[in-house]
Amino acid sequence: MINRETETLLSRVQKPGRYVGGELNSVVKDKQNIEVRFAFCFPDTYEVGMSHLGIKILYSQLNTRDYLWCERVFTPWLDMEEELRKANLPLYALESGDPVGDFDIIGFTLQYELCYTNVLNMLELAGVPLLSRDRKGLKNLVVAGGPCVCNAEPIADFVDLFFLGEGEGVDLEVCDLYRECKKAGATKEEFLTRAAQIQGIYVPAFYKVTYHDDGTVQAITPNHGAPARVKKRLMMDMDNSFYPDKFIVPYIDIIHDRVVEEVFRGCIRGCRFCQAGFLYRPVREKSPEVVDRQCHELCESTGYDEISLSSLSTSDYTQINPLLDRMLTWSKDEKTSISLPSLRVDGFQPQVMDKIKTVRRSGLTFAPEAGTQRLRNVINKNVTEEELMKTVNTAFSGGWSTIKLYFMLGLPTETMEDVEGIAQLAQKVVDAYYANPARHKGRGVKVTVSASAFIPKPHTPFQWEPQDTMEQMEEKQHHMLCAVKSHKINPTWHDASTSLIEAVFACGDRRLGPALLEAHRCGCKMDGWEAGFSFERWLDVFRRSGIDPAFYANRRRSFDEVLPWDHMDYGISKEFLIRECKRAYAAQTTPNCREACSHCGAAQFGGGICYERD
Amino acid sequence: MREIRVWFSKTGSARFISHLDLMRCMTRAARRAHLPLWYTQGFNSRVYMTFALPLSLGVSGLRESMDLRLEQDMPVEEITKRMNKVLPPDIRVLDVTEPKMRPGEIEFASYQIFLPSKKPQSLSQGIQELLQRQPLLVDKKSKHGVLQMDLHPELNRTQVSATPEGVCIHAVLPAGCNFNLNPHLLVNCIETYLKITLNAQIVRTDLYNAGMQPFI
Repeated sequence: MINRETETLLSRVQKPGRYVGGELNSVVKDKQNIEVRFAFCFPDTYEVGMSHLGIKILYSQLNTRDYLWCERVFTPWLDMEEELRKANLPLYALESGDPVGDFDIIGFTLQYELCYTNVLNMLELAGVPLLSRDRKGLKNLVVAGGPCVCNAEPIADFVDLFFLGEGEGVDLEVCDLYRECKKAGATKEEFLTRAAQIQGIYVPAFYKVTYHDDGTVQAITPNHGAPARVKKRLMMDMDNSFYPDKFIVPYIDIIHDRVVEEVFRGCIRGCRFCQAGFLYRPVREKSPEVVDRQCHELCESTGYDEISLSSLSTSDYTQINPLLDRMLTWSKDEKTSISLPSLRVDGFQPQVMDKIKTVRRSGLTFAPEAGTQRLRNVINKNVTEEELMKTVNTAFSGGWSTIKLYFMLGLPTETMEDVEGIAQLAQKVVDAYYANPARHKGRGVKVTVSASAFIPKPHTPFQWEPQDTMEQMEEKQHHMLCAVKSHKINPTWHDASTSLIEAVFACGDRRLGPALLEAHRCGCKMDGWEAGFSFERWLDVFRRSGIDPAFYANRRRSFDEVLPWDHMDYGISKEFLIRECKRAYAAQTTPNCREACSHCGAAQFGGGICYERD
Repeated sequence: MREIRVWFSKTGSARFISHLDLMRCMTRAARRAHLPLWYTQGFNSRVYMTFALPLSLGVSGLRESMDLRLEQDMPVEEITKRMNKVLPPDIRVLDVTEPKMRPGEIEFASYQIFLPSKKPQSLSQGIQELLQRQPLLVDKKSKHGVLQMDLHPELNRTQVSATPEGVCIHAVLPAGCNFNLNPHLLVNCIETYLKITLNAQIVRTDLYNAGMQPFI
């Protein structure tokens, strides 16, 4: 419940529903009985954060502990931030309305690099010292999890402890330890020293990084008994892994306002640009019985009439048909629709689409990622033009006439011919529509081509690759635009400047910490939003901090260079990544995990798909 | 098929919920409550649900109503019990009745407007004097731009009183689909003329027809 003072601000801001809490299924506890208070902070707006599955899982799970109360905090939109600052009111948690500075643990989830400035801004709004070394006590321990932790170095100065890998399990272990240490009156250093012994915990202050004269990393040396390499945590038994039976049901419209059910973790594919495809190995499926039960329970507790079966590539779920048969026994009567996001071009099965026909017919989206077969082989996106044509024809015959195609510009080895290939592929889709006798007569086709910029990411075979410079990227964007000959094709692209900043922080090291602090001081925030991002301001910050963005974004690294994230162990061996990178240069594809094992290293976790074939 | 009128209150955090969001919230609650709902028969089938008169954002409502259609009968107590079990705490179902009047018959709404103040006596006096002013011109924003209108003729059922913590205004203002006066307009008018900033707490207490009989 928010307090009266804060309430008076709400008449002056847009969407006050973001800031009031009180939603169905939000957890309110009596704080007299609470020993550890946990502020779960999502460094983006309410609508984005509430759509995120991870926060739903961890919020519910943390609140299963009686001694702990986990509450939610989101970044206030610019108007609300201004009101809070003007009124000199602190950032507060939605459940209790209490200031974030009152909490024992302040936890952030880092989903994308452009949210880092929001993390700093939220700490400041909470009145909490930004730098880890300035927070002396055990209280206000700042922790962080999420995919960006795989290279957390740029934000390491601000965070006391990182969670590597999947949060269920390790978050509770850390909270239990915190409770014990708080009771015993332990110091922050004592707590962190013990926490660093837990698998999946990275305490950045316990690692010393030294650099060569050329700016590359010389060594990363642990102290305080911390492990030389921190290994990620993961849940091996998805059927028995914690999954909430309740979701908070927001009052206001959020981005993904539906039941989200995870059907498996990991991805069999190994597309070489895709970080998630390597971080979440090995593939671990939930059984259809469990998925079905969890979906039904969630619909019951939320009243949602839409379910999204989520994963990195849902058409790769081996049990999709038995699952849909099971779900249809109740979903039809309850007027609940099922949707499958992230369909692959080669996974679009007419019989599956028939089963979920109840879903409202919007456009279909596919991601060929590259315009020519050669480049698709380079990135190991094992999709052929033939498959794409077959799929769009199925869709056209089924009445669809809006297709969205995702591509990436600036992929390694890309030539202008590959760029033209994007326009040509889109043109072939348009031509296929008019050649299809079963198409929806009297309606034109619309093909949207969305081209994002390739960003080299840690822990992928392309982690050594340079990103195209902004000039190169803009030239390619222009070239693509010129190659489009039809009005039926609508080309769009991502701004090259945000992609540059993203690449700098994705592949950055600890020397970016002061730059991040400077960026925050200069007012950088909401960098993922057009209303917040200012490229000129960022360039200014880099200039003043003595940072050359090209060193991080546009430089080719050698295979024997010590990478800033080498001490982060996601179970994937560097030898495998090097092998994959060399195969990419040779335009050789690698079979997916279901076809053959490529010995990436994930088998060490002792389960999942690595053992299915035996 | 049976049409029912569900009476509810919308207070606390729920008053910051827009009308569209309220509709979504009520649809989900009715589904969770397993009411035998009647769905519209159109291409995009949805729960039949109409509200008597939407509340503006930030205003609490003590006696709001929405009409639903049920495929089979269900006892009133059962509907109330089931809905309250699944609604957020700040939205409460109070009663379920058979609709007697059409929402189109609504002509007035009564409001309680509380204005916190350190000097309630002088604020109250200032407002009383303001309400005597003729004409009392205010800017009313509409779809067609800003219109200037005279508030004075609409304030004949308005009482102002001072309490220890502030000023309380009881107002009955025109409401409904023909001519609706947002209570914020009255508050803004006071702010503009008296050159002060108010943190008004506004509650809609009831709805009435042309003859000032409560909407039922």
